[in-house]
Amino acid sequence: MSDDAAAEAVPRVERATRPVPPLRLDGVTKQYAGGGGTVTALDDVEFTVERGEVTAIMGPSGSGKSTMLNMLGLLDDPTTGRVELLGSPVAGLSASERTDVRRKRVGFVFQEFHLIPTLSAVENVRLPTRFLETDSTDRAVDLLDRVGLGDRLGHTPDELSGGQKQRVAIARSLINEPDVLLADEPTGNLDRDTGETVLGEIATIAEGGVGVVAVTHDALVGEYADRTVRLVDGVLHE
Amino acid sequence: MSETGGTPVTTDESTLVARLSDRFPAASLAVRNLSRQRLRAGLAMLGIVIGVFAVVTLGMLGTALQTAALSELGGLGNQVIITPGDGGENLDQREIQTIRQAAAGGGTVIPLKSGGASVTGPDGQSFGQLYGTTRPGSLFSVEGVPDSLRQGAVIGDDLAAELGARVGSTVEIETNRYRVLAVIDSEGTFSPIRPGSAVVLPPGEFVDDDYTQVVVQADSADDARAIAAGVRERLNGREERVSVLSLTSVLSRITEFFALLNGFLLAIAGISLIVAGVSIFNVMLMTVSERRGEIGVLRAVGIHRDEVLRTLLVETTLLGVGGGALGALLGTTVVVGVALGTRLPLAAVLVPTNGVVAVGALGFGILIALVGGLYPAYRAAWEPPVESLRG
Ligand SMILES: Nc1ncnc2c1ncn2[C@@H]1O[C@H](COP(=O)(O)OP(=O)(O)OP(=O)(O)O)[C@@H](O)[C@H]1O
Ligand SMILES: [Mg+2]
Repeated sequence: MSDDAAAEAVPRVERATRPVPPLRLDGVTKQYAGGGGTVTALDDVEFTVERGEVTAIMGPSGSGKSTMLNMLGLLDDPTTGRVELLGSPVAGLSASERTDVRRKRVGFVFQEFHLIPTLSAVENVRLPTRFLETDSTDRAVDLLDRVGLGDRLGHTPDELSGGQKQRVAIARSLINEPDVLLADEPTGNLDRDTGETVLGEIATIAEGGVGVVAVTHDALVGEYADRTVRLVDGVLHE
Repeated sequence: MSETGGTPVTTDESTLVARLSDRFPAASLAVRNLSRQRLRAGLAMLGIVIGVFAVVTLGMLGTALQTAALSELGGLGNQVIITPGDGGENLDQREIQTIRQAAAGGGTVIPLKSGGASVTGPDGQSFGQLYGTTRPGSLFSVEGVPDSLRQGAVIGDDLAAELGARVGSTVEIETNRYRVLAVIDSEGTFSPIRPGSAVVLPPGEFVDDDYTQVVVQADSADDARAIAAGVRERLNGREERVSVLSLTSVLSRITEFFALLNGFLLAIAGISLIVAGVSIFNVMLMTVSERRGEIGVLRAVGIHRDEVLRTLLVETTLLGVGGGALGALLGTTVVVGVALGTRLPLAAVLVPTNGVVAVGALGFGILIALVGGLYPAYRAAWEPPVESLRG
């Protein structure tokens, strides 16, 4: 019996024989206890990152988008529910093991870029590999080239425009050849043309088997996305 | 801008820098972070400079004073002086023989006859302390004094000045004439025998055959102590036949006093280093709270806690190394300057102990900086990255 025949006949079996997803949120709820009472930032969220797929997360400000990326990137723990990495729960991982997952499998593009001001563009891109033995300079230069910053390699963040910083941040998120790319507003500071270049790069990366999750307000991202979900008050709508 | 204009990696120098920063990722980050806030880093370092400077100057000066004092007083501590006990005038041959036994292997025994007499020289007359011994060299360890004396006289410098006598002159004591063989420089010697007004003659020149005292020049302070005890035990068993004077205990008191003084000075200097540690602590707290977000980024992109910790500790250690080295250098310079400008001999400064003081102060400075930075660095590196990222 071929896989194709099974897929047509019984969709559930088809899902089971697929490769395990790199990351999955299973009934994840995140609550913050604050002065004005408890805020539910995420409410029973089910979400799977698929390899080779670009997912756009849209939603109003304060709806929990960044919180959700933090869950996916093992930066934060859910109040209830579980986060799975390659099919197994991450709750049991030590801080050091989580750090290793971020170092090896996850690429982050933060909402505020978060470049290190004392480092040049190349060094910022190489940051995740800084304490590793490998020399990542060539790859860093290549990545900067691909986001159109081949002539800004030695510049520090204060010598770059907002959009250029954003592109350095994108290059940095790819330096470790991640399985999953988590991007918070990757085109927020880019004009349409540059945005298209960057999104084109992201789409190419996804074709290489990387699962991309991009938070956005930008309809352009929707065009490049394979799937768009909406987050409203912490509740996820497909 | 041209195509290649933005490429920085062109010169040999910058590839070297790049390679070094690859080799030492924590150190290169640390150096950049320090140079970001030069004034603040400089002030934190200044604390260490002052602390190490204080420890080095006070410690080195203390050691130098102690060394100089002991080298001047040193001979004193090794002398044991034995004089007749209650009512006695002289020490007989049996007693001197017993003292020789007690001193065997530990020092030189110098029996002395002594007395006072009027001495006449080329320019005048004065009162001299007469000593009879064949071995003036062991008694006054001063250059120019002959080891053995068979004829002629060795006289003290004060007396020589009053009499107008020089080496080669003739002095007259009770109608006997003696050629002056040497003059004792009383500045350079410490002895219970007053060297300034001494006249040392061969013992045969004295009418009396018995000796009035015995000086034992011991090889070391320990020997002196042992000889003094031995003589007391052998001669003073039943009655107080001799009185034994040893300055060893006085000298060890002096040594103790210097040790106490040095300890006290070092403690004061040490406090200033601890204050420097507090200021490093404060500066590192400020630095990490300013860089909270950056540290969060490092952690979020997969830099381990211990790697962040290492980077921050290299930073604070560099403050300690830089400040400590500068402080030790300044302190040494000042102490050497003091030695050159005063009567403190340079040789007393350049003793191995002072090397230990300098290296120890430097090490202590580095340690203080490290300890001061430990908690802030630990707190920053262990903070959950989501919280650091919130700024
Ligand atoms: N550490 C925290 N403590 C308390 N409340 C928090 C914390 N982090 C997030 N929240 C709350 O959780 C909710 C979701 O925040 P989140 O940052 O995920 O929003 P967002 O969708 O990314 O918004 P934006 O589009 O403005 O970036 C908000 O109401 C916010 O106030
Ligand atoms: Mg957000």
